[in-house]
Amino acid sequence: MQNPILWIHGDCLAFDSPAFQQYPHAPALWVWDDALLESWGITLKRVVFLYECLLELPVTLRRGDVSVEIIKFAQEHVADGIVTVESPSPHFRETCQSLRQTMQVKVLPIEAFVNYHGSFDLKRFSRYWQTAQRYVYDD
Amino acid sequence: MSENNMRRGFSSREDLIAYVRGQFPDAAQRDDHVSEIRGGRAAAQAQLWKIDPVRYAATRNQLNGGVTRLSAYLRHGVLSLVEVKRFAIGRVRQPRDAEKLINELGWRDYFQRVYKAIGEGIWQDQEAYKTGFQINHYADQLPDDVRDGTTGLKCMDAFSRELRETGYLHNHARMWMSAYLIHWRRVKWQTGAYWFLQHLLDGDPASNNLSWQWVASTFSQKPYIFNRENVERLTKGVYCSMCPLYRKCDFEGSYEQLEAQLFPNRDSETNGGR
Repeated sequence: MQNPILWIHGDCLAFDSPAFQQYPHAPALWVWDDALLESWGITLKRVVFLYECLLELPVTLRRGDVSVEIIKFAQEHVADGIVTVESPSPHFRETCQSLRQTMQVKVLPIEAFVNYHGSFDLKRFSRYWQTAQRYVYDD
Repeated sequence: MSENNMRRGFSSREDLIAYVRGQFPDAAQRDDHVSEIRGGRAAAQAQLWKIDPVRYAATRNQLNGGVTRLSAYLRHGVLSLVEVKRFAIGRVRQPRDAEKLINELGWRDYFQRVYKAIGEGIWQDQEAYKTGFQINHYADQLPDDVRDGTTGLKCMDAFSRELRETGYLHNHARMWMSAYLIHWRRVKWQTGAYWFLQHLLDGDPASNNLSWQWVASTFSQKPYIFNRENVERLTKGVYCSMCPLYRKCDFEGSYEQLEAQLFPNRDSETNGGR
């Protein structure tokens, strides 16, 4: 991608997140997801906290349907793709899927907490930690 | 500036809050409190500089102990787990001195991995309740007195108020509140988890829901409960000392007595260790 836009979501609100680091000059967008705020019953203090985080970032703020607003923003900037940062949220995966119908999407990984590339047993924390603790101090 | 863009320039925090209140009236109508906890990287870094991994290990279970208060920043990626881990290791003489804090950061990493694997299943019981009760024994509605902080139990009422006013609760307050709702009031964990997500600045379906499930026993070997002695010890008696129900509250008794009262139908097969 030569001229992407950045989609900044609620799991990557730092200027040293991979999106800003790898594309420091790309226009960035945050979209307040009205439907999500409603279905989660989010209260004022959470919105204020997020707003304060966003004001420290070079990001345009809009609201509405997330996919629609991202595509609109990308078209305004004649972008050739969308760059974002990974999230475990199923809603994030759905949005990426929807965006891919119109435009290329690149999802950047965040630096792993545990420097281990094998699989973890996630049945219980104790099983995960048995493996994780062997690698968590490796940097 | 495009007319679609929301405002970025504010003269003060009050100015910002007034704008947000006007733009998001439904959020304000649900609950109008604003937390003293500030969002943003500058606030996060100021908090990060206060962490003391050795004190954390020794006192984190106390309600006034040396906890990090970084959860809201970690939840939204303002700080990363790797960054906090490295910072913590840099604050101690040898990495193992930060072991307890790193272990607790590991819980967040673990919950994120489980969330990635199960997706929307985060809202479903991962396993059957091990309480002797079936799902239909648990209520869907959050009791008004718990929501409003009018149960008469000083501890629970204080936690309810703190949740609504600050968007933050100490981990033990979360565990006690969730155990009270699920096991004493017999409310579905999903109801409590949704309530917490509405208010907690660090509200995240991964850590939040799986912790509720851990308490409920749908993501653990046995239900988590507590007693009055446990609350009194870890809060240094701040609630118990002014509670009219002191020594006669719902939490009075040994763990064995409380388990027998709360889970009378539980058979020995489901009474496993955690």
